[in-house]
Amino acid sequence: MDQKIGVYICSGCGIGEAIDCQALGSVAEEFSIAKVDHSEMLCGVTGIETINSDIASGAVNCVVIAACSGRVKTGEFCFDPMTVISERLNIREHVAWCQPAGAEDTQMMADDYMRMAITRVQKTTLPKPYLEELDKTVLVIGGGVSGLQAALEAAKADYKVILAEKEASLGGQMLNWYKNTPTQAPYQELSEISVQATIDEVTSNPNITVKTNVTIEKIAGAPGMFDVTFSNGGGTNRIGSIVLAAGWKPYDASKLESLGFGKFPDVITNVQMEEMAKAGAIACPSDGSAPSVVAFIQCAGSRDQDHLPYCSAVCCRVSLKQALYVKEQNEENKAIVFYKDMRTPEQAEEFYKQVQKNGVVFVKTDTSKVTISEGSERKLSIETMDELLGEPIQIEADLVVLATGMQPATLDDPILNLEYRQGPAMPQLKYGFPDSHFICFPYETRRTGIYAAGCVRQPMTASRAANDGTGAALKAIQCVEMASQGKAVHPRAGDMSYPDLFIQRCTQCKRCTEECPFGMYNEDVKGTPLPHPTRCRRCAICMGSCPERIISFNNYSVDMIGSMIKSVNVPDEYDEKPRVIGFICENDAFPSLDMVGINKLNYPPWFRFIPLRCLGSLNLVWIADALSKGIDGIVLFGCKFGDDYQCHFIQGSELANTRMTKIKETLDRLVLESDRIRFEQISIDQYERIPAILEEFTQRLEELGPNPYKGF
Amino acid sequence: METKIPFLEVSDAIVMSGAETLYWCMQCGLCTGTCPWRLVPGEASEQFNVRLVQRMGQLGLEGFESENCLFACTTCRACVDRCPRGVDIIGNIRGMRAMLAEVGTIPPSLKPIAGSLHSQGNPWSGPREKRTEWTEGLDVPAFSADTEYLLFVCCTSCYDIRSRKIAKAVVTSLRAAGISFGIVGAEESCCGESIRKIGDEALFSKLAESNINLYNGKGVKKIIVTSPHCLYTFNNEYPELGGEYEVYHYTEILAQAAAEGKISLSGKMAGEVVMHDPCYLGRHNDIYDAPRNLITSIPGADIKELARNRKNSVCCGGGGGRVWMETKAGERFAELRITEAIESGAKTLVTSCPYCITMLEDSCNVMGKQSELKVMDLSELVAENL
Amino acid sequence: MGDENRKILVVGGGISGITAAIEAAEAGAEVTLIERNPYLGGRVTQLNQYFPKLCPPTCGLEINFRRIKQNPKISVYTLAEIESLSGSPGNYQAVLKLNPRYVNDNCTCCGKCSEVCETQIPNPVNYGMDTMPAAYLPHAMAFPFKYVLDPGIVGTEEARKCLDACKYNAIDLDMQPASLNLNVGSVVWATGWDPYEVEKVDYLGFGKYPDVITSVMFERLSAYNGPTGGKIIRPSDGKPVQSIALVQCAGSRDENHLAYCSGICCLASLKHATYLREKNPDSKVYMFYIDIRAMGKYEDFYVKVQSDENVVLTKSKIARVSIDRESGQMLVEGEDIGRSEKVKQLVDLVVLAVGMKPGTASCKPSLDMDYDDFGFVTGSGSSGLIPAGCVKAPMEVAASLQDSTAAALKAISTAMGR
Repeated sequence: MDQKIGVYICSGCGIGEAIDCQALGSVAEEFSIAKVDHSEMLCGVTGIETINSDIASGAVNCVVIAACSGRVKTGEFCFDPMTVISERLNIREHVAWCQPAGAEDTQMMADDYMRMAITRVQKTTLPKPYLEELDKTVLVIGGGVSGLQAALEAAKADYKVILAEKEASLGGQMLNWYKNTPTQAPYQELSEISVQATIDEVTSNPNITVKTNVTIEKIAGAPGMFDVTFSNGGGTNRIGSIVLAAGWKPYDASKLESLGFGKFPDVITNVQMEEMAKAGAIACPSDGSAPSVVAFIQCAGSRDQDHLPYCSAVCCRVSLKQALYVKEQNEENKAIVFYKDMRTPEQAEEFYKQVQKNGVVFVKTDTSKVTISEGSERKLSIETMDELLGEPIQIEADLVVLATGMQPATLDDPILNLEYRQGPAMPQLKYGFPDSHFICFPYETRRTGIYAAGCVRQPMTASRAANDGTGAALKAIQCVEMASQGKAVHPRAGDMSYPDLFIQRCTQCKRCTEECPFGMYNEDVKGTPLPHPTRCRRCAICMGSCPERIISFNNYSVDMIGSMIKSVNVPDEYDEKPRVIGFICENDAFPSLDMVGINKLNYPPWFRFIPLRCLGSLNLVWIADALSKGIDGIVLFGCKFGDDYQCHFIQGSELANTRMTKIKETLDRLVLESDRIRFEQISIDQYERIPAILEEFTQRLEELGPNPYKGF
Repeated sequence: METKIPFLEVSDAIVMSGAETLYWCMQCGLCTGTCPWRLVPGEASEQFNVRLVQRMGQLGLEGFESENCLFACTTCRACVDRCPRGVDIIGNIRGMRAMLAEVGTIPPSLKPIAGSLHSQGNPWSGPREKRTEWTEGLDVPAFSADTEYLLFVCCTSCYDIRSRKIAKAVVTSLRAAGISFGIVGAEESCCGESIRKIGDEALFSKLAESNINLYNGKGVKKIIVTSPHCLYTFNNEYPELGGEYEVYHYTEILAQAAAEGKISLSGKMAGEVVMHDPCYLGRHNDIYDAPRNLITSIPGADIKELARNRKNSVCCGGGGGRVWMETKAGERFAELRITEAIESGAKTLVTSCPYCITMLEDSCNVMGKQSELKVMDLSELVAENL
Repeated sequence: MGDENRKILVVGGGISGITAAIEAAEAGAEVTLIERNPYLGGRVTQLNQYFPKLCPPTCGLEINFRRIKQNPKISVYTLAEIESLSGSPGNYQAVLKLNPRYVNDNCTCCGKCSEVCETQIPNPVNYGMDTMPAAYLPHAMAFPFKYVLDPGIVGTEEARKCLDACKYNAIDLDMQPASLNLNVGSVVWATGWDPYEVEKVDYLGFGKYPDVITSVMFERLSAYNGPTGGKIIRPSDGKPVQSIALVQCAGSRDENHLAYCSGICCLASLKHATYLREKNPDSKVYMFYIDIRAMGKYEDFYVKVQSDENVVLTKSKIARVSIDRESGQMLVEGEDIGRSEKVKQLVDLVVLAVGMKPGTASCKPSLDMDYDDFGFVTGSGSSGLIPAGCVKAPMEVAASLQDSTAAALKAISTAMGR
């Protein structure tokens, strides 16, 4: 593409009062551009028409919009991305609204931003999306309620589905259930198990192929082109995307000897209880007699730092249900529930109430401290502190049911057996659950095209698991649809760029293959990265990691940012005008910088901010480039990292921080102070902090004095 | 701490005795927090925790039986109104008391009450034949087939000297309003409200059945009562025993008459009055406006409200059998009401329940406030303004 | 994909509706998203942070707004209501009423109209805890990023002043309600929730004492962009808050109010404890609860907050909130169940954990759906409308979004006539 750059400068919204737009145009004209145009309201009909007719006439094919933030007026400044390169240069929020009007430094800031914007455009090429023949079949792993629903809903939307179940029959855990907790208003009656109806619907759906008695031997490839090999001679299939609905397993009760399991035959788990009820009679294992008093011990293993620190979410409801089984067997029977907190959220409170009305007795206690021993009149004796009474009680029962919790099926089995450089399993969030870390994006995973659903993701009820399967199916469908257009999925949904590697210069250092949060790269035997673009989420963390600078995108590269830095005009040391480059996360900190402007807050005029896709895409060479050019300081604004990280790309800001600890070498070589670099974690809502941070950093730089490399 | 052994069979028996909603309770403690005993110091305040009592009931444990624990409950219904689970807390208390009553272990102070009810049909140890002594000089008509309403006078107002003024004032007022009414007299027994709350189910049944037989035999269709306690029992407990009547508290009848202009009130004794809502008229029977309308129909009368009024009214301390039990001065709910009434600036505290009058006036006197505040039944205020 | 009938209408522009719309559109459907307010984001706009990460909701909103802006398959209408709705799965007719904003697309958000506008109106985003000019941007990160004129000033001199101040012809005082007809294949109903009218729980003192506020108000009081710039101060006298009482189940789990559990309040209140503790290290938090309901991994958050010795958790359902005449503080009373003794706690501020009422309790679609006694949608009924988010049950954000994503797929297949 022969670039013909048009620069369109708006003087509205106070820009014209703050800076000299004509002078800004002259700065643009220092570059090889097709035209500069001025408008008092560029977003108005005339302004837009001018740009569009310039594009239509072929006068320009690249546009630089020097006006407001790229977050606004997106409908107005909207050009065909396949034919036009466009760049939004924000001289409103980032200059006019946060700097004194008419000041020399304000003008210099705008001028630099103009140079940087044109440089960015010059280093950009049109997108060439990764378009391959992709398969859209959805593989659902697990034939429990979640997997069944995922398969069914994907099939209803006309996608081919392969449903793989490791057991001989579909249905999962629910096959062993007698009844379900209430699923319908008024939430008081136990529900019948209806899984068979769903199984019938699945098996009769022409879009669904069911494979039972199979596990996944291996999954190779990437979204749209997974090659999935099944065990047991199940063959290999080409798959587009995957729903992982592998379910849960009960916590190992043999670890609950303190609650009498394994010691007393009449201490059983809720799973055993369910099986007995399903088989038709609840009996004491020791002698087969029908129990007349049954005790339920909640949180048997759950909410216990020595076992499962989390709450298994369903056990309270399960015990309420099973207490009713006890009453159903003989209404004279007694059921006593020992609980820490009764957790019957939402409408399930009505169920709790109903069970109370059935005469079930509840004892609030720390269930991890319950003592179970042999009884005198009945088989077992339970001794504990009744927190409602404020006194210890001892009560005898014929049968004790431990409400054991849930653990994900993925806890010690990768299940997927991915042929990925980063391992065969989906990365876990916590406690073995491959759940999303993002509140706003519950299906977000670190393996593109693979979505967890149901109790493998987090403990949940059966109805919620079914619904969860539906959601995961949507994500699976969405992934293949986006991939087939060469587009990224969340969070850079629609991005058509993808990393291009100049592989001849690769030194097989493996940083990219290790650091990619999404496992995009495999490696060949020598350790050369093998990119799988449909796995890629376009964060460019690999680009930041690469010491050889061989990873580039059509619109984002090490060279591009380096050139932008070089385009900044650095006054000499006698001018007392320091220059600071700010590398700033474009997802959160950059909008936050807009808020600084919108709220008309001020900060020193020495800063030149460069938005990065993710701070993790920061390449250390930029820092070296900047400092050796005489830039006085570097500020980095990234998302919060640590356990509650806010980085959209998992580890980006943390990686950037780690890289900063390594920059010391560079600084030492340049004989520069490490204080010249400042890393700050900024949330999108913390715009008020920004001016203070920048003021304070400016002061520090003044103390350090000018960068001695100025003028070199 | 000694380990307690729950007896779930005992809890079953409590449920059978009437504590039908015992297990509905989720032990949130709102009842205890709401209970007026939290507003005063003393033994009952420390001992009586209505949530904990029900907990002991749920587990069939002992230890709640004393006068200042289980029998502290005045059945004021403040907790029931707020209970998030719809627990009939009074029913549960009654059921637990009934367990004790069955084996004769109610508190000693209540035993003479039960005895008097057995032998004389009233709790005040008054001879049955003197039930109509209060009518002397009033020429109160006897109930007959031509009479529209039976006037049922609460035992308290039949026998207690102070309270007889209420009975008289009601009669005077009803007459002034041109209401057709009559009394039955000595054959009548106590309505049984309090003894049932105390837990003596058998005695209650005996009293109720005797009244029902009497009234049904006389063709009673409509009843005017002087006490909201009687109103509660006639309305809620008699029908299932075969006694179905239209029952009105006298304030309803008089308020209606005033609204229709059938009674003219002079306003000669009017002025600022402050109103105490009896628990049984208000929370138990949902009557809040009739007494207020009746007061405002007196020319020149002005109602001041107590800080805690209507459904937030605080009990006088006389319900649930407490009127016969001793509560130490300084620990009485009535004292709170007297103080609040005086703070309101009004000189007259008006209410419409014989128990409330007894409790409030007693406290007013004990506190030495009788010169600052006059305690009156609303019927008395009406009668004075005729 | 690409079928003509794959058109979906999403009613409700809160986080559930936004998610349903985006997820469906990114899977190839054409979506119209409508919202009653002049901005998208609904209730989460008014939250300070999400539990358990304590991250700002604007972060997720921003990324979602970006997805909307760049996706030509999504059309957004704010200030829009459903005037009529008819039809059946695969073929619905909706008539939208678009209420006037009095500001057109020319608006650049320069803010001049607001600067000249002297009429102040209560700020609904801040639950009326402060006021703002009647020509306003709903909040700094609002989408659409456009000003609004309060209808109350239209026709007054004040509106003329705004009109004159606008250099971009963006104010149109003659704007009238407009109608828009849509033909869609499926409809997602995501009208969210409302806080319970907690003044009905009269013994908790809301509406009577200024220092008794709701949990949703506390979110604003703690937010950087809230009425106090994030300073937690007493509404009565502006003094910094040293202690708060967090009163759980303020309406929830109560047959006299909301019989169900609102599901999210325990965690929200634990989060509120962190707001005050973070901002004021010398502060003290008292939380009163029936049961702490922190399901799944949220338990970790409970354990974390519990480990702060200045957060005192007491099992108690609060029975009375009143003012202590002597100190001017709020007095919170109830029974401490664990000790079987009285709770008598003086605090600077009482925060009531108000329950969630489904939007469908007060405003139901004209087409048939199934509801429970509380107004939550339990099924699509004969209409085939697809409920999503808090209209189905009280849900935290993550669960609502899971549900909305599922709704997106159901909407796609319904639109296909499946």
